[in-house]
Order: sequence, then structure tokens, then C-alpha cells
Amino acid sequence: ARGVQHTAVRRAHRKHEPDFHDKYGNLVLLGGAAVFTTVWGYVFTQLGMEWGLSPVGRITPKEWRE
Amino acid sequence: MLASRAFSLVGKRAISTSVCLRAHGHAGVVKAEDFSLPAYVDRRDVPLPEVAFVRDLSAQQKALKEKEKASWTALSVDEKVELYRIKFNESYAEMNKGTNEWKTVLGGVLFFLGVTGLILIWQKHFMYGAIPHTFSDEWVSAQTKRMLDMRMNPVEGISAQWDFEKNEWKK
Repeated sequence: ARGVQHTAVRRAHRKHEPDFHDKYGNLVLLGGAAVFTTVWGYVFTQLGMEWGLSPVGRITPKEWRE
Repeated sequence: MLASRAFSLVGKRAISTSVCLRAHGHAGVVKAEDFSLPAYVDRRDVPLPEVAFVRDLSAQQKALKEKEKASWTALSVDEKVELYRIKFNESYAEMNKGTNEWKTVLGGVLFFLGVTGLILIWQKHFMYGAIPHTFSDEWVSAQTKRMLDMRMNPVEGISAQWDFEKNEWKK
């Protein structure tokens, strides 16, 4: 009897219309990620900002005495 | 029981007129607003809400309710489901179902963080002047060697990161 009822609920399951998130969620997520990576990729690499990174591991010391 | 107490007080004329009216019923009394009545709620921790979901039954539903008073084995499966839907709005499965809201939220957050990056671009383009020459690679290299030669911050700072024997940064 429980098996029948279980099937019945599934059969009579009211259709849930997709909400905004069902329809556009993937689009918003990917679009937002695309905007983010584009803009910040540009900011970090092309813009020419001085980020003040540590010289450790990056800079080769050069003779300074004249 | 409370009503009978009130009625007995009416007989004794021990109460004011407004209470008289309330005890009699309808004349001159404000209709109870919906929000003051027991309400239906879809909540996991309230398995049996105070009222049924459907308040005003159609004729068909009323007939079904009458049929419910007889033996339940006479009800078809669809009728049972209809009775369920009269009493409840969402089933537990429907109530607990997750949504895709997180996609919209995360996408929106990332988008507006991107807008913040645009602000930085605007600042660099229109606001900041030229970077001082002391940030050029040439200057920073010479500056770094001078700092190491002076043994600046030898305990935990920059000189501690440099291997003076091998002449390279420590791994």
C-alpha cells in the first residue's frame, strides 16, 4: 500500500514552474565568472599597476656601489 | 466553557455593554483580521499546522470531504492525494527541495567584484600619476642588494631569506 502511495505522489506531483534561478542561474553564474576573470586578469597583468610585491624569490640583487 | 461563563455574567448584568455585544455575537464587532487567526505554515518543524491549507472548499472538495467521513478504503488514490492537497500545501519533499539560488548569488557577487576591478582601471587611467622611478627593476635590484649588504632584518626579514653562502634566495 505504501508503495502505491509513493508512486501516486510522484504521479500526482504538481508541476513546479522553474523560477528565475532555474532559468537563468547558470547564465548568471558563468557570466559573472567571465566578467570577473576578464576584468581582474587585465588589472593584474596589463594595467601596469605597482603591486609592491616582495623582492624575495623574485629580484636578482645587482651591484649598487658606484 | 468560557462562553457559558460569559453568558452567566450577562444574566447577572455584571458586565459592560460591549461585552454584552460580544457575548451575543455579531452586531457592532470588528471582523477578526486574517493575521490574527491561526495560520497555515510550511515548516519542517511544524508537521501538523493549526489549520488546513485550503480554507474555502469548492463544491467538489466539499463532496470529497463528506466521502472522507465514510470508509477510507472506498477512496481512490487520486482522491486521497486531493485530500492531502486540501490539508497541506507542500509535501516535505517539496519543502526540503533545494534551489538554484546559489548560482544567482555567486554570479552576482562575481559580477560586482568585476565592477570593482573596473573602478581600479578607471583610477589607473585617469587618476594615478607615473610610478616613481624607484620602483623600476633596475633600482629595486640595486636596492635589494644594498639591503642585504647592510644585513637588514637578519632575524626574520629579508636578510634571513637570503643565503649568503650560495648567493641566492633560500628555498
